[in-house]
Formats: sequence, C-alpha cells, structure tokens
Amino acid sequence: MAPRAALTIALIAIAFCAPLFASEFWVTLLMQIMIFGLLALSTDLLLGQAGLFSLCHAAFFALSAYTVAILQVRHGFGTALAAPIGILAGTALAFVFASAVRTRGVYFILITLAFGYIVWGVAYRWASFTGGDNGVTGVPFPSLGSLRVASTTDYYYVVLSVVLVVAAAYRVLVTSPFGLALRGIKSSESRMRSLGYNVGQHLYVAFVLSGLIASIAGVLYVYFNRFVNPTAASFPISVEAVLMTIVGGTGTILGPFLGSGIILVLRNWASGYFHYYTAVLGVVFIVTVLWAPQGIMGLLARWRSGNRGEGA
Amino acid sequence: MSGAPAIAVERLAKVFGGLRAVDDVSLSVEAGERRVLIGPNGAGKTTLFHCIAGTQQATHGSVWMFGTNITTLAEHRRTGLGMGRTFQISNVCTDLTVMENLTLAMLGTDRRKWVMYKSARVFAGLRDRGSAELSRVGLQGRADETVKFLSYGERRQLELALALASNPKVVLLDEPCAGLSPSERQRFSGLIRELPRDITLVMIEHDIDIALALADRVTVLHRGNIIFEGTPGKVQTNAQVREVYFGRV
Repeated sequence: MAPRAALTIALIAIAFCAPLFASEFWVTLLMQIMIFGLLALSTDLLLGQAGLFSLCHAAFFALSAYTVAILQVRHGFGTALAAPIGILAGTALAFVFASAVRTRGVYFILITLAFGYIVWGVAYRWASFTGGDNGVTGVPFPSLGSLRVASTTDYYYVVLSVVLVVAAAYRVLVTSPFGLALRGIKSSESRMRSLGYNVGQHLYVAFVLSGLIASIAGVLYVYFNRFVNPTAASFPISVEAVLMTIVGGTGTILGPFLGSGIILVLRNWASGYFHYYTAVLGVVFIVTVLWAPQGIMGLLARWRSGNRGEGA
Repeated sequence: MSGAPAIAVERLAKVFGGLRAVDDVSLSVEAGERRVLIGPNGAGKTTLFHCIAGTQQATHGSVWMFGTNITTLAEHRRTGLGMGRTFQISNVCTDLTVMENLTLAMLGTDRRKWVMYKSARVFAGLRDRGSAELSRVGLQGRADETVKFLSYGERRQLELALALASNPKVVLLDEPCAGLSPSERQRFSGLIRELPRDITLVMIEHDIDIALALADRVTVLHRGNIIFEGTPGKVQTNAQVREVYFGRV
C-alpha cells in the first residue's frame, strides 16, 4: 500500500500549501472539492463498504446546513452551539431514514430517492420557515470565542482540518470489526447471518453513521456558501455524491475526494464553454462505468499490479 | 437442560402453497450424535434442514435445541445459542481474505463485533486462534489469500472452518461433499470424521458411501415423511428404503 500512502501524503501536503501559491479561485474550488468529497465519502460507507446505493444524502447535508443557518441568522446562536445542533439534526433524520435498510437493491434506491424528495419538497415549499426558493442568507463566518475565521484562507484550513480528522476516523472505522462486518454483508448476507450477525442492525448503524458524516459536510458547506437554499437538498446533490464516489473509486477513502475533484473541476471548466456541462458529466460517468468500474483508485491499483491477471 | 436432545423436531410441517414439502416430521438427535438425512430428490431434506437452521420457518410444529424452543428464532440468534452451519453451494465472503472471513466468524458470537474504534487486526489472540482453525481444516498458509482466488475444494474447507470458528455445539452440514472430486471427498469426509465427538452433527449427504461411513444414525425421508430411522447397518437392509431410495434414484 506504499504508493497509495505516498499519494495521500502528497495530496495532503499540496492541500496544506495551496493557499500559499494558489489564487482565491482555486482555494475556493479546493474547499468545495473537500466538502463535497466528504459528502461523497459519507455515501461510500453505504455503497463501498455495505453495498447499499443511497440517493438521499443531500437530505442530511441540507438539514444540517439549514439548521445552522436558521439558528445563526434568526436566533443569534454562535457556532459553538449551532454547528453541533446542525450535525445532531442531520443525524437524527438519518435515524429515521435508516428504516430504508429493511429493503435491498432497487427498492432501497427508490425509497431513499423518495426520502430525499420529501426533504427537498419541505425546503422548497415551507417558505415561511425555510425561506423557500431564496433560502436563508447572511450566514456569518464561524467563530469560537475569540477564535474567528476572518478570511477564505482561514476557513480553508478549518475545512481541511475537519476533513482530515473525519477521514482519519473513517479509516479506523472501516478497518474495525464493524467495518469488516459491513464488507462481509456486502459479500454475502446469508453467510453473515449464519455467523451470528444481525445484518439489519449493522446496516442501520452504518446508515446513521453515514448520515452523521453527511451532516458534518453540510455544516462545512453552509459556512462556506454563507447561505443555503433548496438546491442543497436537491436530487442532483445526492446523485453527484454517489457519482463522485464511483468515478474516484468505491471502497476507498481517497476515491470520493478524487472523484469530487474531477467532477467539480470539470464543471467549472466546462460550464465556461458549454451550456450543457451536465452532458459532459454524463459522458465521464459512462466512460467510468464502461472502462473503469473501480474508478480512478481501481485504475491506479491495476496499473500498479501490472499484468498479475487479477480481475478488477 | 442436560439430557435434552441437541436437536429435537416435533411434528414439523412446511407448506409451500399446495405442496407439503415436509409433512409431520418428528426426530430427535442426541448430544454428540452424528445424524445423516438422506432421501431421494424432493424428499424434503433441504426444507427440513432450513427449518432447523432458521433460513425458513416451519408452518406447523416446533424445533428445539438443547431444550430451548428455537422454532421462530432468527438465524443469527441460533448461532449465538451454539449452532453453526455450512451451505450446499459454498457461501463465503469472496471479496475478503481467508483470515478476514475467519475473523468475522470468530467475532460473530462476540460483542466485540461492534467495536468501531480500532482495527480488527490488533485484537489479541484472534489471528493465532484463526491460524489454528485454518490448520484444522488444512488451509494453513492461505490466511492472506483473497477467497475468490481459492479453489472450490478450498472454499469448502473454509466453509467448514467458518462453521466451527464460534465453537458451536451443533453443526449443520448441507451436502458438505457436493461438487468435490472423489479424492477431495475422501479427504473432506475425513476432516468431518476427525471433528471432536462432543460436536453434534446433522448433515444432508447424497453420497451414500460417505453418508453411511459418517453417520451414527440415518434418517430416511420420502415425500415429506420419515420412512426409516436407524443405524447405517440397518438402513441398507430395510425393504421400504430399498424400494424408494436404492431402487430408483
């Protein structure tokens, strides 16, 4: 695993130094890549580890973002309270939506899709509370007592630190007995049941943890964006989170961030030239599924193992 | 509960629509006994087996393990009570390594399966115990191989190791030798024969020679009913068994 470790260290080093040489445009884009990479990572706990394809992660992301925005803007809460409450709210919603693990396959996809639309509908239609189309504006930079984020660069380091801490915790989680059990369930549910595992309970907990990570991403997002509107809860956000994971490589930690980087850079570049940049994303996705189903991380692994003849 | 049979099935029936796959079957397997279920295709062996294992639930009747009623108990809870099983078609986690499979098996009945804050590799003694389990089934040295690169025979061996890893009191073997070559069958049935005598075995086996060599007692099923139960010596001489089983097939 040495090459992967080297790649990780190189990327972290670049991330740390970026504000020193990169323009504000790139610093902002990098922040966005990290935040959406974290959201993508949250979907990969279900997809890459447990084998469940969720299409409702924008719901947790948006609920925590809305909670923070409403508490800070309308009720004068500080970051120290608003951020944890936001994460709690998103995770609590995941507790409810986790009931989807009673289903599998296409039914799981459809029920999570429906869950996602409920939250988007509420954000969009309950205008008196959520601000409707306009959302909630005027979210300040976060501050903790005398520690204040005063610039994009300051916040960049906040995002980087949170993402690194969550990714490190995630790494421990997926190597733990719990994470191993999720991969076992992905491989053979019936075998895991006969080994003594309550498969439903494991998947339920995985779903809630996944919602927790999505909620953390939501909090980072609202302070980055400084406002939140129903777009945050929309279907494309949920889909893109999963696409980023697939393009980068499922079942890896670096993959979702690489996928996020590719999709967001492409969008920024392509939207300058084409009106239909989503078509470009479509092509990227098709190419990935047809020729690199294991994503970029899969390509790297294949390139490294050369012609050992191991399947993807 | 001492003295209670390891597995007791009382007046069990399993109905699929209009088909009575198992029709009023009662049997009792003593602790430490090796019981083989045989019978022609469609006799209800697999359905009965699934009702004991918990993969399916009986329509009528009850299943008991060491005096505990397990009729409606979920499969994973039966494992917690000391049941282990193998599958007819190898069912192991093919994306994981041999040792990862075994780790899952060893932790399946252990609260530590919920640990999230440290790597599964650092649990004291787990790997040593896993290596011992692998040697028992002849898979020593294969610990770090991904299961999808194992041969079918090796997967059968791993399957047995998984069933034994939680130190079960009762092991259900669903056609353990299915899909193996004749020489592999010999070796594999040898593995089963060498298992500690305090483990109760209930198995389905189509290979009559292997079945009779392993069994203490044989139960013959036909059309959902038990038509004979007795020692391997007597089963071969029973007229009814000869007619429905050895006569046709």
